[in-house]
Amino acid sequence: MVTDEKYTIDVAKILAPIVGSRDLMPILAEAVNKADVHSVDLDFSKVEFVSRSAAHALLLMKEDLQRKWRNKKFISFVNASDNVQEMFRIVAANRAVPKTNDLNIKIEKTDINSLAKCSC
Amino acid sequence: MQKIIVKSPRGNSLASQLVSLYNSFKDLSFNEPRNFDLSNIDWFFPLLVLPLCAHINCFKSQFSKNENNPNHSYLDTVSFPLGVDSVSVFQQQVQAHKTFIPISVLKREKGPDRERLESIFSMIVYKTLGSVPGAQNAVHYPITELVTNIFDHSKQDRGFIFAQFYPKKNYLDICIVDCGRGLSKAYEEEKSLKLSDADSIVEVLKGHSTKPSVERGYGVRTSKRVVCECLGGEFVLLSGAAALVVNERQERMVELPGFFWQGVIVAYRIPKPAGPIDISPYLE
Repeated sequence: MVTDEKYTIDVAKILAPIVGSRDLMPILAEAVNKADVHSVDLDFSKVEFVSRSAAHALLLMKEDLQRKWRNKKFISFVNASDNVQEMFRIVAANRAVPKTNDLNIKIEKTDINSLAKCSC
Repeated sequence: MQKIIVKSPRGNSLASQLVSLYNSFKDLSFNEPRNFDLSNIDWFFPLLVLPLCAHINCFKSQFSKNENNPNHSYLDTVSFPLGVDSVSVFQQQVQAHKTFIPISVLKREKGPDRERLESIFSMIVYKTLGSVPGAQNAVHYPITELVTNIFDHSKQDRGFIFAQFYPKKNYLDICIVDCGRGLSKAYEEEKSLKLSDADSIVEVLKGHSTKPSVERGYGVRTSKRVVCECLGGEFVLLSGAAALVVNERQERMVELPGFFWQGVIVAYRIPKPAGPIDISPYLE
């Protein structure tokens, strides 16, 4: 039976001290879904770093689980270090107002022989 | 099996190392096994060692070295060519060889254990470079972004990562390699775009992800900015028959005629940080 109690998941224990990979988020989502509670705290106290990609995937997971019709979960990110919080803020800000990626990139073209001559 | 004599680079720069890699792999079919003769190599560096390691692991290539050259024992020290694929073996190797970081093979099927191996690898790199404020983020950011790309985009189940610190030169070289589908094929398969290898690299730098979300596609560009603009390092991104070579002063795209790496090779050099670092302005 689903209760109103809170359940805490140690993110570093389920994944690793550095959370980098997007493709491992289903493992965390599965742990959240298994909890018989509405509210789940993801505890980042032993997490040293969260990558930009993983932070994006975590925010998407949070929204998806909250939006579900059945077995809805409310997730909180707790005990995150300053740098982990900063990464979530950067990604969340970009989610709210995505930057346009149409950069005018100018790259000099060269050939391997020229590179060989000027790279010693 | 065709014998390939691998030659030493003419200089220390990543660009020189790229030329050495090019000369070792050009005019050969990518996925055929070869016998790499390393006996002429005086010193080994990640941008050569790791692609060789990946090729040996993925295509059953072989190698020979000069047993009488003391520099060649380095290969055993860093677990060449098989690498390590578990945290426990990684820790044993680091304990045994102190300043040398073993080649790490990241396998998709290992799940969280793969993440733990990547974590310990990145933490050792951070420890090696010294703990100035902000260095932790500067070390972990590019490693995590570039490694997750392997498992998100390459359609391969294995990635290779290796680093070496040079105390006298005061910098650290890192290489990350996969033998997956490469950038051009990823754009073709995911977005029906037919791009040359060089144009695919430009698309990556523009942040045009092969995934549909506009919120994605920042990883490589921001990692390059952290390495080059924030840390003053050098950066090489190679896929297929083209490579981007970046240092503090310039960005160059190099066509590699007769060469083809099916997959992606990223190599970068980080000078040991002397003062506090803040990567946040470069994350966009």
